[in-house]
Amino acid sequence: MTVQVLLVEDDRELRETLREALVVEGHRVLAAASLADARALSEHAGRGGADIDIVVLDLALPDGDGEAWLSECRRSRNTPTIVISAGADERRKIRLLDAGADDYLVKPFGIGELLARIRVALRHRGRALAPAVIRWRRGALLVDVAAHRVNRDGHEVHLTPTEFALLARLVRSAGQVVTHRRLLTDVWGADAVEQTQYLRLYMGQLRAKLEDEPAAPRTLLTEPGIGYRIVEGDETD
Amino acid sequence: MKTPQPSSPLSHWPAALVWFVGWAVLFALDGRVDLANQALVLVATAAVTALWLPGWGSALAAVAAVAGFNWAFVPPRYSFSVDLKQHALMLVTMLVVVWTVAALVTRQRHLAMLADLQAQREARLRTWADTLRDVPDPRAHAGALQSMLTEASGAPAALLIPDRPGTAADDPAALLVGARDASQRAGLALCLREGRALGPGSGRFEQQTDVYLPLRARGHGLGAVVLPGLGRSAVGDTLVPHLQALCDQMGEALHRWHGEQESQRLHDEARDQATRNALLAAIAHDHRTPLATILGAASSLIEQDGRLGDPQRRRLAQSIADEATRLARLTNNTLQLARLDAPGMQLRCDWESAEELVGAALERARRRDVQQRLVASVEAGLPLLWCDATLLSQLLDNLVDNALKYSPADAPVTISACRTDKGLMLTVRDRGLGVPSAWHERIFEPFWRGDRPAEATQPGAGVGLAVCRAIARVHGAVLRVRARNQGGSAFECLLPIHPQPEPPT
Repeated sequence: MTVQVLLVEDDRELRETLREALVVEGHRVLAAASLADARALSEHAGRGGADIDIVVLDLALPDGDGEAWLSECRRSRNTPTIVISAGADERRKIRLLDAGADDYLVKPFGIGELLARIRVALRHRGRALAPAVIRWRRGALLVDVAAHRVNRDGHEVHLTPTEFALLARLVRSAGQVVTHRRLLTDVWGADAVEQTQYLRLYMGQLRAKLEDEPAAPRTLLTEPGIGYRIVEGDETD
Repeated sequence: MKTPQPSSPLSHWPAALVWFVGWAVLFALDGRVDLANQALVLVATAAVTALWLPGWGSALAAVAAVAGFNWAFVPPRYSFSVDLKQHALMLVTMLVVVWTVAALVTRQRHLAMLADLQAQREARLRTWADTLRDVPDPRAHAGALQSMLTEASGAPAALLIPDRPGTAADDPAALLVGARDASQRAGLALCLREGRALGPGSGRFEQQTDVYLPLRARGHGLGAVVLPGLGRSAVGDTLVPHLQALCDQMGEALHRWHGEQESQRLHDEARDQATRNALLAAIAHDHRTPLATILGAASSLIEQDGRLGDPQRRRLAQSIADEATRLARLTNNTLQLARLDAPGMQLRCDWESAEELVGAALERARRRDVQQRLVASVEAGLPLLWCDATLLSQLLDNLVDNALKYSPADAPVTISACRTDKGLMLTVRDRGLGVPSAWHERIFEPFWRGDRPAEATQPGAGVGLAVCRAIARVHGAVLRVRARNQGGSAFECLLPIHPQPEPPT
């Protein structure tokens, strides 16, 4: 499958490097150096050009803020978006993730990381409309959301309803970071968005039940200051 | 110190008493001695009372006393007429003698008073000079100057001292003590600007009742004082020069202070410049090494492309990636160091789990550390930390990086979290060369690097540990290095434990 990527990055060197790397991976790339370019390209795509499958968006652009454009896009389309930023502004990163960006990368990053994020984002494409991920498996760990069951090494693991809700929410976005705010809202409700300590407690409990070595987790990963991520499954439905 | 008053009603009573006693003696001696002796007693009494009476008082008293003497004792008695010429001569002589004595005594008293006043003023000048010597900021003594001037002159003094010489008088940083109305402030500003006195006796604005004096040094006004209503009474007196002397002492002190401020500023500037230069040189130097590798490898890939084998090409690309990663890390640390030292730095604190912070650090290190020699140990049931997760992650990353870098490739590195009676301790332990105890503090200084072969052969800029220390500092934590018993180092970060948040219900 050929994927059409809209790459919005104002630095010429980085844009060319990323473009080439994406082309080598077999993607088709529309490269834009500014918000105006990006708007023109996406409008053209909307009027019968090839559909854009994913957007890779730099935040600091010469003619405006990528953030504004992101929310514009979000209103009209559901194209997955990966934000790349210079890293200094954590708060902004979180706001973008909350506003609907699928993932973020901090400059400088390796091309392998970008490709992995794109892969995950594409896999999740349309998931917001379709039912959530139903089954997630990684090694000896299996999470069956529909059946409300978790198996580890063939044995059923007993989870409390809250633990299960938290795990299910992570599984729904497997491979992607889910912000604290999003997790708290989806699992505990909008009143609990400030209660990060709930997450610390329940993530600890989940790791104790699901990880071989809870102090050195390999499945339920922490993104300090941002949120959590469950690694991509070997097999997801 | 009280200014002596020339006369007051209270000080007259000894004179009245002496007159009473004198007259009593005169009446007691009446008829027993001759008139000349009585006259001498009267002269003596008049002379003694002059000690207390003002000049004109003594003169009037003398006239009254001679007239009374004439009426009471000189024949014909109980009348003002005089029988004998010699008696008339005696009365006139008495009057002249008494007047002369009174005038002499009064003059003497006035001189004594002036000497006393002079002594008081000199003492005041000396005390004031002592007060101003070595004060860090003479402006702190503006209130003292104001009350001293008020006391010395009897006029409610007010003063203006600008923040720096040459700044406008309405500068908000200017110090204004006691000035009540706008005209006084305008007068003070003018006096300051001109650096000379205004008002009666100064030759400028003679019709004014307020006297304005500058606080002078080297001919420049560094402040100004107003003495409202001092007016003409002060003209020609020695009071104004005295007040001016007090003001000038303040002026000199201000001048000294401004000089010190300026030299301190220049010194700070020079030191900042030196620090900045050293920093820039260190940063540039530390960027040059990885850049050289990157440039070398990249140009080799470009220019020798046809002659390179696949493994060689791979190795070159790998070294470009490695060095670029190092540069990124160095830049990140340097930036963080600048950010943490900036005033008004804000932490983004939240409740964090030590286990997660350690776990995440481990996960990041394992992506780089191919030997997988990093081990974690986290005590169960640790309290949550109130901290900035991004910063603490950077602290752990730097410590882990250092530990991996400065210990043998097969030696384990442990990262642990445990509770102590003083707080929560995050520790990174290695089995490396160890840190000599003389370096235990210096290794946390920015851009400081050891000079042993182990450090010299390892890339690094001496920024990592400085950042760690800054991160610990902003969290109220203590970061130190300890030598381990069987060799190696333990870097310990002791974080404070805050009252824990509400658990979920």
